[in-house]
Order: sequence, then C-alpha cells, then structure tokens
Amino acid sequence: MTRYLLSHAIDDGAARHPSHAAVKLGTSELTYEALALKSNQIANYLVGEGVKKGDRVGIYMNKGLNTIACLYGILKAGGVYVPLDPFAPVARIAYVIEDCGIEIVFSDEGKKSEIPELLSQVSGALRVAGPDLTDGELDHQITWGSVWQDMLTSSPRLSQVEGDLAYILYTSGSTGKPKGIMHTHRSGLSFAEWAAECYGLVSKDRLSNHAPLHFDLSTFDYFAGHIAGATTVIVPEAISKFPASMTRFIEDHEISIWYSVPFALIQILLRGAIDSHDLGSLRWVLFAGEPFPPKYLRDLMAKLPQAEFSNLFGPTETNVCTYYHVPRRGSLSDDPLPIGRPCHNVEALVADEKDDPVADGEVGELLIRGGVVMEGYWGMPDRTQARFLVKELAPGVTQRFYRTGDLVRASEDGNLNYLGRKDRQIKTRGYRVELDEVELALLSHPSVEQGAVYLVSDEEGSNLILAAAVLHESEFVTPKDLLDHMAQQLPPYALPVRIDLAKELPRTSTGKVDRMKLAAEVERATTA
Amino acid sequence: MSSVQAAIKEFIKKELAVGLSRDIDPDEDLFTSGILDSLAILQLVMFIEEQFGVEVPDGDVVFENFHSVTAIQQYVNGREAQVR
Repeated sequence: MTRYLLSHAIDDGAARHPSHAAVKLGTSELTYEALALKSNQIANYLVGEGVKKGDRVGIYMNKGLNTIACLYGILKAGGVYVPLDPFAPVARIAYVIEDCGIEIVFSDEGKKSEIPELLSQVSGALRVAGPDLTDGELDHQITWGSVWQDMLTSSPRLSQVEGDLAYILYTSGSTGKPKGIMHTHRSGLSFAEWAAECYGLVSKDRLSNHAPLHFDLSTFDYFAGHIAGATTVIVPEAISKFPASMTRFIEDHEISIWYSVPFALIQILLRGAIDSHDLGSLRWVLFAGEPFPPKYLRDLMAKLPQAEFSNLFGPTETNVCTYYHVPRRGSLSDDPLPIGRPCHNVEALVADEKDDPVADGEVGELLIRGGVVMEGYWGMPDRTQARFLVKELAPGVTQRFYRTGDLVRASEDGNLNYLGRKDRQIKTRGYRVELDEVELALLSHPSVEQGAVYLVSDEEGSNLILAAAVLHESEFVTPKDLLDHMAQQLPPYALPVRIDLAKELPRTSTGKVDRMKLAAEVERATTA
Repeated sequence: MSSVQAAIKEFIKKELAVGLSRDIDPDEDLFTSGILDSLAILQLVMFIEEQFGVEVPDGDVVFENFHSVTAIQQYVNGREAQVR
C-alpha cells in the first residue's frame, strides 16, 4: 500500500502485526490494533462534533497512551493536531488556542485543575474532551468512557491527500509571542521515512519518547518508529527529571533507540549511575537541538561501546533534520562536531548575502529545499514569505528554499560545520562577534559543565556580552580562570564582560538553555 | 509532622517553589504537579546532604525516593539509620 498519510503507519501495523505493541507507558501498552481502533473512535467522535479537514484540535495533557490515540485520531478526522505544552502557563496556552482557532481540546485528569482557568481566558467557544469531571462544570463534555463505548471502530471515510496540514508546532518567537509552524502529512512522512531508513529501524526496535509532543523530536519517536512497526516507550514526565531513573528506564525497557537533547544524555552520563546499569540494548543514541560538547560525547561513547551515535540538525521549520552526522569513535577532537552531510531528501544551498552560492570553504547561510520544509507560519503570510527564497528556473517554474538563518561552512572532507545563528551574529563596540563561538570557547574549559553566552544592552544601548557557567561538582575555578582560557581562543572584544557562576541554568520547556530569561534577569536586576 | 518532613517542606516552599501559595500535600507528586522541575533536584539533594548529614549517591536520586515529601522523608530516615 502506498503510504501518503501519517496515520497509514498505524493501519499498516494493525494489518501486519496487530498484537505488537505500538506505544508503551510503564506496564501498560497499546497494540497496533488497539491504537488503530482507538484512534478511529476518536476520529469518529471529532467528525460527529463537526470537525472538518484542516480544523485545529489541541492536545493538552501529559504524555500517555490516550495522548497518542488522540494524535492519530485527530489526523484520521482530517484535523490538524496542535500540542499544547502541559507545563506552560495557562495564558500562553490560551494565546495558542486563540491564535490558531482551536475549538476542541483533548485533556485528561492531570490537567483538570487548570481547565476552568483556561476556559475563562479563552474568549471563543472551547470544548474540552477527556477529563472525567463528575461535577458537571463543563458543557459539551465527553468522557473517555463514552468515546470507547459509543463510537464506531471503523475509520471515517474522508478524502485526504498528502499535502493536507497534519500538525502545528508552536515555538518561542524572538518577539516573545509563540509562532505556529505548519507541517503537512508529506513533510512528516518525508522526514520519518528518511529517518527510519537511515537508522535502519525495524519492528523489534524499542524507541524512547523523551521529547514533549510540542517539540519536533517527538515526530521521530512516533512517526519514524511506527513506520518501522516498532514500539515507542514513553519516558514518563516524572522520570525524565531523574538521571538515574532514566538510566534504569533504558535498562528495564531494553531501549534500542534513544533520542533526546544532549542535556538529558549529559545528565545520564554525569549523574545517571551509568556504571551500575546494563545499557547494552542501545543501538543508536540520537541527539539534536543543541551542540553536544565533544568532551562529554567522548565519555558517553566510551561508556556505550556497542552503540552508534548521530546528530540530527535542522530547525522545526524543516521538521527535525536536514543535515546529519555520525561521529566515529577515536576521531573526536575538541572541535565542535560538524553537522555533517545533507539528508538525501533535501537540497541545500549555502548562499551569500545576494543569495548566490558561496565558494567552497566560505561562510554562508544555509538554505533548504525539499519535502520536509514547512508550509509556513500560521496566520503570518508576510513573515512566511520573508523566510523563503523563490528562485525562478524558467518563466513560471520556481523553486522554494527556506532560509534557515544558520551560518555554515564546508570543510575539506565535505562535511558542513555550523558556525552559529545569523541573528546571534552581533556587533559589539563595532566588532562582529558570533555568540555561539564565544559559547563554545566557554564550554571547552574542562571544569565547565554547562555554559551560556547572552546579550544585554548597556545604558548607551550598545551590546554587552555576558556569560553564565555551571561548574562540575568539586571544581574550583574562578571566572577569571575561565576568561583566561577563553582569551586563548578569542579576540579581546569577543570576551564576555562578566561570567557568573551559577548552580543551574534556566531551560525552556524543550530542554534548551533559556538565554532570553538569563538576559531578562540581568536587566531586571540592573533596573531594580 | 516529623521534623524531617517540616524541614523538607520549608526548603521546597522557600527555595524551590517560590510563589506557591498553597500548602504541599506530603503525598502529592512534586514533579507531575509542576511544583518542582529537574533543576530543583540538585538543590534538593545538596540540601538533604547538608541538613541531615547523609550522603546521597547518584544512583539513589530516582523517582521513587524523591517524588513526594513523604518519599523523601522515608529515604532520609533510611539513610540516617544506615549511618548510625
């Protein structure tokens, strides 16, 4: 059968191996057959509620078996799933709901106490499906019990095509308002099929799902895993906070494919009691989202001699991955990892300011074309247009490239190196500085466990470079030691004016360092 | 309420969950309820080591030992008994 919708992976799996587990959480699981039936029932409920093709439906709950049934059910109803971060402030959730016009939200017991506040903050009509509230507070409420009991188990008959919208992922915008990145079934499948093939996923694989659903990494865990007929094991929210619990989770569930931000892996390496667990089941350790400092990657590779490692590189706008790299053991220097080579489903262009290709070895912006590229930002046609370069090959024949904003340079071996964000390239006292380069210099100090470089404006309105670092336990170095170390790699004007030693760095809900929060705290302290 | 439980609650309310106006139920899950996040755990472990004079090895920093005030209290009591 030709696969052209994301939900086909589940229906294929139900036909091929109905009793094989598709999703697991703790000791509970949904087989492929059960997931197919439950998602059909949810789709029938949504169709009955009047959901039509392209309608956005929210998922506001902690990750669980029902969450994944909802995800596929929304797709089968022709809808577009919009994951709402269960740990985000209610005001932000309400903003997303209004921004993309969500009328139905799936939720669960865990979010029950937030629902009344959410309803009061959303001006339009909002129906909440899922929580078994017995106090009758909500109109239009449906409980899981009645979905499983009353709804047909056959899939609704709809006309759907691969170019239909499938999901919208909201990411933090530089303006402070989240923006919704729209992806189609085609872009989801383009990535998932590439990934399933590249990493050789098979039905006996057991994938971890560490990332929250609003983070694009999760589309690998579910769509690539399910295309391969594999089992995806949810890392419970509570466990994901404890490195040693994550280590035991990998051992207990015999995880063969782990995928997360480097931060989680570094926590496992440093605090996960990794030596007292058998992690021999791991076959691939995948990471994305932030650079993985080589000093930790080397140690982790030594602890897991049987596993292969790979970095997946790409913004949410190009659906997880456009460039990938498989570092080899023994060849890892302290230099940052290259982002590697393009995935076979993308065409890349490294361009100068005039959008012409740069010569080999020159720095340019990475532009990407291919099935993985987003449709655009929800409700922002101008902003979307500004992010694309349209090249005309012949009259009426055009190619559309997404401008990633990432600065890259090809090395002699053909690998691409990431040099930083175009918008993290700043001017300070007239000098051009790559903040990411400054950060890498800080991270290269052996005593530094985590580090971040960020920008604040001084009283004259010019840029000041600041840094924050978390040291390894029982390391005693001063900010001056760190600066001396950085001064060996950077020109004086690129050095931070101050390095704060901290016990921790603030992180976003996807696990990346929250530099905006760091800057806001400093600015608040100076103005107070 | 034992003194261990009171000390843990006070530390969480004062240092980790700033702005939390309600009381913490000793059995409620500190992490899925959003009272604490992963960054809080390191501070909590350091506090326990200093306050109660017990060593907390990495392998003990697991969900079962730290998910609620009661669980932390039981863990600390167990460690204290081992030290004596």
